[in-house]
Amino acid sequence: MENLLKSTSLVQRAYWLIRLRWIAIAILAVATFVAQRFMGVSLPVTALYTISAVLLVYNFILYDLLRYWTWAGKEPSSARIGGILTFQICADLFILATILHFSGGIENPFSFFFVFHMIIASILRSKWQSYLQATLAVFLFGGLVGLEALGWIPHYHLAGFIGRDVYNSWTYVLGFLFVFTTTLYLVVYMTTSISEQLRKQQGSCEQANALLQEKDQLKNEYVLRLTHDIKGHLAAVQSCLDIVFREMVGPLNDKQKDLIERAHRRTSKCMAFITALLRLTRMRLTGRLEVERFSLRNCIFNALASVQNRAQRKQIDLTHRIDSSVDQILGEAVLIEETLTNILFNAVKYTPDGGKVDMQVDEDAGFIRVSVTDTGIGVPQGDLARIFEEFYRADNARAAERDGTGLGLAFAKQVVERHGGRIWARQNAQGGSSFIFTLPKEPTASAG
Amino acid sequence: MAQGRILIIDDDPDITEAMTVVLENRGYEVHGAQDSTEGMERLKQDRPDLIVLDVMMRTSQEGFDLSRELKHNPDYKNIPILMLTAVKQKTGLDFKTEAGDDSWLPVEEFLDKPVKPDVLLEKVESLLQKS
Repeated sequence: MENLLKSTSLVQRAYWLIRLRWIAIAILAVATFVAQRFMGVSLPVTALYTISAVLLVYNFILYDLLRYWTWAGKEPSSARIGGILTFQICADLFILATILHFSGGIENPFSFFFVFHMIIASILRSKWQSYLQATLAVFLFGGLVGLEALGWIPHYHLAGFIGRDVYNSWTYVLGFLFVFTTTLYLVVYMTTSISEQLRKQQGSCEQANALLQEKDQLKNEYVLRLTHDIKGHLAAVQSCLDIVFREMVGPLNDKQKDLIERAHRRTSKCMAFITALLRLTRMRLTGRLEVERFSLRNCIFNALASVQNRAQRKQIDLTHRIDSSVDQILGEAVLIEETLTNILFNAVKYTPDGGKVDMQVDEDAGFIRVSVTDTGIGVPQGDLARIFEEFYRADNARAAERDGTGLGLAFAKQVVERHGGRIWARQNAQGGSSFIFTLPKEPTASAG
Repeated sequence: MAQGRILIIDDDPDITEAMTVVLENRGYEVHGAQDSTEGMERLKQDRPDLIVLDVMMRTSQEGFDLSRELKHNPDYKNIPILMLTAVKQKTGLDFKTEAGDDSWLPVEEFLDKPVKPDVLLEKVESLLQKS
């Protein structure tokens, strides 16, 4: 079983053939016009222009059929799409032979355009099919020049381009056919060898990819189990510490209280980290979004409100501008609000006292664009690409704030990409950084 | 001092102990059980006014299963259940506390673990007042 291209890429190739045919039709019409008008070559122009017109109609029909079969993301079976391709290639061979017949037959150097058909067949179809196409081409062209030489069908001489007695000189015809035939078979041989190798490589890439995904899934399951267990123990530790700290089981002296408080603070941090990791892993594993229509505007205000206090404490000027059209979108509200909060919180966290944080929300071409700009410590150029990776923290961020799970931005990236959006950061010339993400107003089925 | 008998069903003895301390401190009478079988026995014996129930015990569903069973039992269906879970957020499980569809989970209240003492006391108090 040969490893052929997948049917989606075959559909793309079928469209590609149609696009190539538009070009071929244009070449035919222009070449006919130029040869007759400017080169003084005598040609049965009516026949050639008629062929161009027929081809034009044929290509439109094919285009419509293909659109019908692939309507709304439908994927035709690979047998059907393979059939369409074979039909197109065969039909093109017939068409080229017909055009050549009306434009000099063996006298016309465009006969070497059969090479293109062989290359196309070798890329798209199996090896034996490509050889069959080569045989068909040889048969068609050989038949054409043979019958013309015998005088069984008319020969249209390209007067003004080539001598008159080429087409019925058997030495020339047979010599030409020999070169023509070997050229086609050699082209098929070379191209199919290369494309076979490429298909094999494509296949092993896909296998490797599937294996990686499987491993990643296993890793996520492992992390999920582990973090879940740790969370259970932590919850118990925290519950016990809480009671002692609140002196529910008797009074503590100051030193005891201080130590218990330290222990409690550390377990809380650990708990925040474990909870974040658990949520990120769970989202990776389920991969589902619970999409509903909700007010993004409200989410934005909630997010702003939840960082307001912290901003005030640091005397940070927290401003925002939201496009008046921004409101209802489709998505998972809880996740999006958390992402907004996360990014605002980061901006406030890494901006020194008295700085500025500004949020802009715009709508453009079905996408919402949120950007949060601060006058904070910024992200070093070299870290821009990596800060969305799990556990990665830029050195200056680590130095400025010891606390941080290194998971907040990974989570934000996961949420945004699940919704079919993009997220990135940039360093601003006047210092500070901007975090920008986009969200489609109506995520398509492929997102999530 | 608050009045009432509370049954805690949780397989983590440390969590049970910590909650017991918090609740007893407030004046409640508290009993503990480590799984649903022991929980059912305790239920018959002690006739609690409220049940604090953990979701994941021997199986990840044990708490859910027990709560459904209790709400279908005429003897126990009026006892309010406070469910503890480490998975409330984003499990894909759509918790609903009202009857009417498959995802119905017949409990009165959910709390995420670990529970802060004051939150626990507040919820317990309000549930006992309602019943």
